[in-house]
Amino acid sequence: MKRRAFQSLLRYPACALAAALLALGALAGAPAGAAERVQVADPYLELRTGPGRGYPIFHVAAREEWVEILLRHTDWFRVRTANGREGWVHRTQLETTLTEAGSRKTFRDVLLDDYLQRRLELGAGYGRFKAEPMLKVWGAYRFADALTFEATVGQVQGVFSGTDLWHFSLNAEPWSDRRLSPFFGIGVGRFKNIPNASLVSALPTNANLAHASLGLRYYLSERFVARLDYAFYTAFVADTRSIEYRAVTAGLSFFF
Amino acid sequence: MTPSQFPVRLIAAVMLACAPAAAFAQAGQPANEQVIEPQVPRRDVRVPKIPSNDFVAGLFAGTYATENFGSSAVYGLRLGYHITEDIFVEAAYARTDVSDENFRQILPGGVFPQPKETLSYYNLSAGYNVLPGEVFFGRRFAKTSALYLIAGVGSTRFLEQRKQTVNFGLGLRVFLKDWFSLQVDVRDHVYALDLLGRRQSTQNLELTAGATFFF
Repeated sequence: MKRRAFQSLLRYPACALAAALLALGALAGAPAGAAERVQVADPYLELRTGPGRGYPIFHVAAREEWVEILLRHTDWFRVRTANGREGWVHRTQLETTLTEAGSRKTFRDVLLDDYLQRRLELGAGYGRFKAEPMLKVWGAYRFADALTFEATVGQVQGVFSGTDLWHFSLNAEPWSDRRLSPFFGIGVGRFKNIPNASLVSALPTNANLAHASLGLRYYLSERFVARLDYAFYTAFVADTRSIEYRAVTAGLSFFF
Repeated sequence: MTPSQFPVRLIAAVMLACAPAAAFAQAGQPANEQVIEPQVPRRDVRVPKIPSNDFVAGLFAGTYATENFGSSAVYGLRLGYHITEDIFVEAAYARTDVSDENFRQILPGGVFPQPKETLSYYNLSAGYNVLPGEVFFGRRFAKTSALYLIAGVGSTRFLEQRKQTVNFGLGLRVFLKDWFSLQVDVRDHVYALDLLGRRQSTQNLELTAGATFFF
């Protein structure tokens, strides 16, 4: 048993490693000549040793110097100056640089209402599912200004049994341009309840699930959204019987 | 040019000049004659494509101390995403084989059905880089590093039971390349177990070292 576990472990990291190496290969395979060149328009450009405001500034590129942009990590850009120095520059400093054609680059800050252009969102929440702690993770794709397709995986871990559930849902957010914006959604999925092993003669339940939810989203910053929702779940456990659950969760999500 | 040739050439020139105008008139469009041809260099308006490496994949190994049952080797993998320079999220999955050897010496049957049982966990955590800085190797090399605090929630599966787990801890990441870092993590996993007769909250400390790739 141990051996099997070890083999499966070996296999998964191997996959992850292969994926990572492939990704690296793709990065390394990008043509070197394709780097973006910009001319510094600010009085100077501060080059840091790492992608963060806490890393020291070790070099300064002067106005009218040409720099190449090599890589982006979060809001930081790795640039190479004409004399070969490489360092990290924050996006705000690159906003006023000029391209080779003389036009301004578009390194502007993400505006608060840019979330309408940002389609992909990932979030996690924590709350109560009928008095038991619930954890859920969702991924959402906004395909219209006010409509979102969402896939959710949730887990409820009670003292006597654990519940896994997943559902797809369609959410409508009629005032999606507001900072504080209500939404509602409906969806279907699957509900699986597994009793903890120490309980004798308890049977696992595996049933279809339908749900309706009502919630509130608050756009905290350009990347983050806080969300509170109240959901009403119906598990169709038999042809003639269904169980209803209510859940309240609070969570945080971010845009990619 | 001789005077006799002049009218012929004039007529030809006028006809040539009128030909496009006539064509326009036939097509029913206004004869919008361009008087000045602007000499504007065309701007290159392509959108910059800059490679980014906000995603993270990594492997880690270390030791996991299950409360009451000693420590054992743990292996796992993590996937993450760096949202800002400060905040990142990561999902981790790991497993370890826990032994009840200590109990078997005094209790012949042991506590577990098998002498070794697999414990696996997964979690979702958010981290905050509190101390960005540099690590110095000798006089010549300095590598960027970050000390981060991390906390999250997840689930631990042990002896056919799943326990909701809270984890928190800290870690240090040293970037050897832009795309590669080594990291050390200290994590406490807190969950309730009832294996020894009563349900109690357990603190399970984990120390791991890992390699992480940014892509």
